[in-house]
This record gives sequence, structure tokens and C-alpha cells, in this order.
Amino acid sequence: MPHLDAAYRFARWLARTAEDADDLVQDAILRAYRGFDGLRGSNVKAWLLTIVRNCHATSIRQRLRVSTTPLPDEDEAQDGYALVAEGPGPEGATLQADERRSLDLVMQSLPHEYREILILREIEDMDYRQIAQVTGVPMGTVMSRLARARAALKKLWLQQHEDSARAAP
Amino acid sequence: MQHPDRLHLQAYFDGEVDAVAAAGIEQHMQQCGQCRSVVQDFDSTRTALRERLSDYRASDTLRAKLSGALDREPRSPSTFASGNPTLAGDTARARWLGWQFWIGGLTGGGLGAAAAALFAFMIWIPRSDPVAGDLLSAHMRSLMSAHSIDVLSTDRHTVKPWFAGHADVSPEVADFEAQGYKLIGGRADYLEHQRAAVTVYQHGAHTVDVFSWAAGARALPKDVTLDGYHLACWTARDLDYCAVSDTGWDELHGLERLLQDLSARDTP
Repeated sequence: MPHLDAAYRFARWLARTAEDADDLVQDAILRAYRGFDGLRGSNVKAWLLTIVRNCHATSIRQRLRVSTTPLPDEDEAQDGYALVAEGPGPEGATLQADERRSLDLVMQSLPHEYREILILREIEDMDYRQIAQVTGVPMGTVMSRLARARAALKKLWLQQHEDSARAAP
Repeated sequence: MQHPDRLHLQAYFDGEVDAVAAAGIEQHMQQCGQCRSVVQDFDSTRTALRERLSDYRASDTLRAKLSGALDREPRSPSTFASGNPTLAGDTARARWLGWQFWIGGLTGGGLGAAAAALFAFMIWIPRSDPVAGDLLSAHMRSLMSAHSIDVLSTDRHTVKPWFAGHADVSPEVADFEAQGYKLIGGRADYLEHQRAAVTVYQHGAHTVDVFSWAAGARALPKDVTLDGYHLACWTARDLDYCAVSDTGWDELHGLERLLQDLSARDTP
């Protein structure tokens, strides 16, 4: 079944660290299992990802309330610097890895709503109706948000290409 | 044709417009480089994400942790037992396939009915039916390509004779616009080693393909859902029919009933 990996991928892009994603998926699977969130509609993957998303929202709220641990946003900034500050590796094999990493960074710098909708549409290949179900917004919002997310991704991606072109000798 | 707006182009790119609208947009794009490049942009964004983004997968540690956690859960949770009638029938199969299939390569020791119940729950959509798979692929292919309709007509007296020359069967064809299912055309497809007839209806924003072919080659699936698409199958007057769409079940069964009634009326 591909749904566990789908749930994990989605969780990983919501939570951003591997540990948080693990916790999130475990939370979500147990919730699904216990039937707290009855299956609505017929698409199991959409339903499971909806639960992942709800669990994430809950954990964010709890974190805000009870602790002063840094928010995911701040983690992201640090991760970003760490990755960018790394020197260029040997040519060839690492080139591809660099490219991968740079697109990851672009994704991480997008607003949460954009990142989420791009993952659902482009990686999980969900249709608008399923995305509306998972994100809890109307179809019209899905369409306009998706268009904005694609435009934002393209802009940042091009920007980064220009930056790296300038940085290169 | 005026330029379709960006959201419309995007919906076309995402396969969210019906066959007729898609044909219109494709026609427009043949002459309009501006709209072509918008769609190309969508495409390069998608390709970049699919090819270059890190692909995260659940670790073995997580899988092990999950199976442990589920094993500790009380067995046969009531929601699962009573919530879904399709569960009971699938439990035996789920047991046979085993929970570890879902979790992925774990040894399934000690994973009992509870895990099997969850497994059944996760797979009660039968993904493996070959007929359903073929039908869905044919439906998706038609939505993705310009080849969604060979004969574009809302008139059954045009569509039905067209099938006579292009398919091996002559299915029920009627326009049910009054009931919300507008006949928009037909096409031929190759299915079950024969030239199958596909009648295309429009219901709201959705396209419904009704496949038909000579009955008996392979057992028809019952109602199934694959990748978010519903397939409703029936047999009438020596033909197997299958309606495929992303509409809801009620809408799909509505069309099935109309066509079944038509077959019943025509039977001498």
C-alpha cells in the first residue's frame, strides 16, 4: 500500500524534521485506526492525509501553548543557512544532489499553504476535489491558491538559479 | 476564441475540464503561443517537483514503531466492525494478504485481527481488478489526450449509427439532458479484444464514459473506486456496460438506472 509513504511524505513537508514527521504519522495512523475520524468520501489516501494535516495543526497549537521551543519556521531558517553555507562538493554526482537540495530549499521557503498544495497536486497527484477535502477549503480557493503557489515556486526557483549563476565564477 | 484565463488553462493542464472544453483549449493553443507557454510553465514546475524534489519515505524504524503501536491497540474497534459493511467480506482476504503488506515487509508475528481490520479498511477499494484497471486507464487516456470523442453529437441518431461502423457492438444510446446527463458524443476503444463503444455524457462539470462490449469475456467487477474514480458496471441484453467518472455514486447510478430502463423497455 502506498498510503503510508504518502502520509509520511506529506507529514515530512508539513513538519519539516524527520522526527516530527515520524510522530505525526504515528499520531495520524492511530487516529485513523481508532476511527476518530470516520472515512468521508471514497478516497482513502485523501482521508488519511486529511488526518495527517489535522494532527499537524493540533500539534502546532499545543506547541504554541505549552512550550517555547523554536517554531518550525525558525528551524527552517537555520537548516537553510546550514545547507547554503556548505561548500560545493566535487562535480558530477553531487551536482544532482545540489539541485535537489536547492529545490527543497525553495519549497521550504514557500508559505505553508503553497507548499502543502503543491505536494498534494504535483507529488500526490490529487484532483481539486480531493485537495479541497484535505485542506478544508472550497474548490475555487484550491484553484486560485494552486495558481499562486505555482507562480511563487517558479519565481523563487528562477531567482535561485540567477543567484547561483552569479555566485559561480 | 478568446484567451482562456489562467485558472482555466490550469484546470485544463490538471485534467479538470471536460473533453469538450479541453478540445477547445487545445485548438486555441495551436494558434496561441502565449497560452502554450503558460501551460509549458505549469509543466516545467511539475516536472521539476516530480524529478528533483527529495523523496521522503517512512523509515523501517517508523514502520516497526507503527506495527508495535497498532498491536497494542484494543482489537476490533467498534467503528471498524460496524461502520462499514464492506469490511466484513474483506476481512478474510485481508487476513490472507496480511497486515505486513501494508506496513511493508515486516514480519507479521503477533499482528492479529486488529491489524487485519485496519488493513481491510485501507484496501477495501479493490485495486487489483484487471477489468476495472483497463477501463480506468481507457477513461484517463481519453481525458488526457485530444482523443476523447470521435463523433461529437448530442443526437442519438448520429451517435448510434456511428458505432455501427466503428465498434463491434451497438449499445443503448440516448440523450438524458432533462435528467442532467447530456449526450456529447461517442468514440471507439479497444477493450476485451474487441472494438468497444464508448458513449460520452456530460454531467455538470464531469465527463462520464459509458463503455460497452460484448458480455462474457471476463467477470465484471461490482461497483469499484479506483484513484478517486467510480466505476459502475452492469450487464444488459448481452452487453457489458461500465460507467466511469469522477462524479459521486448517486450521479453515476442515476445514469446506470436510465440506461438499464432503456434496455428493459427495448427488450421484446
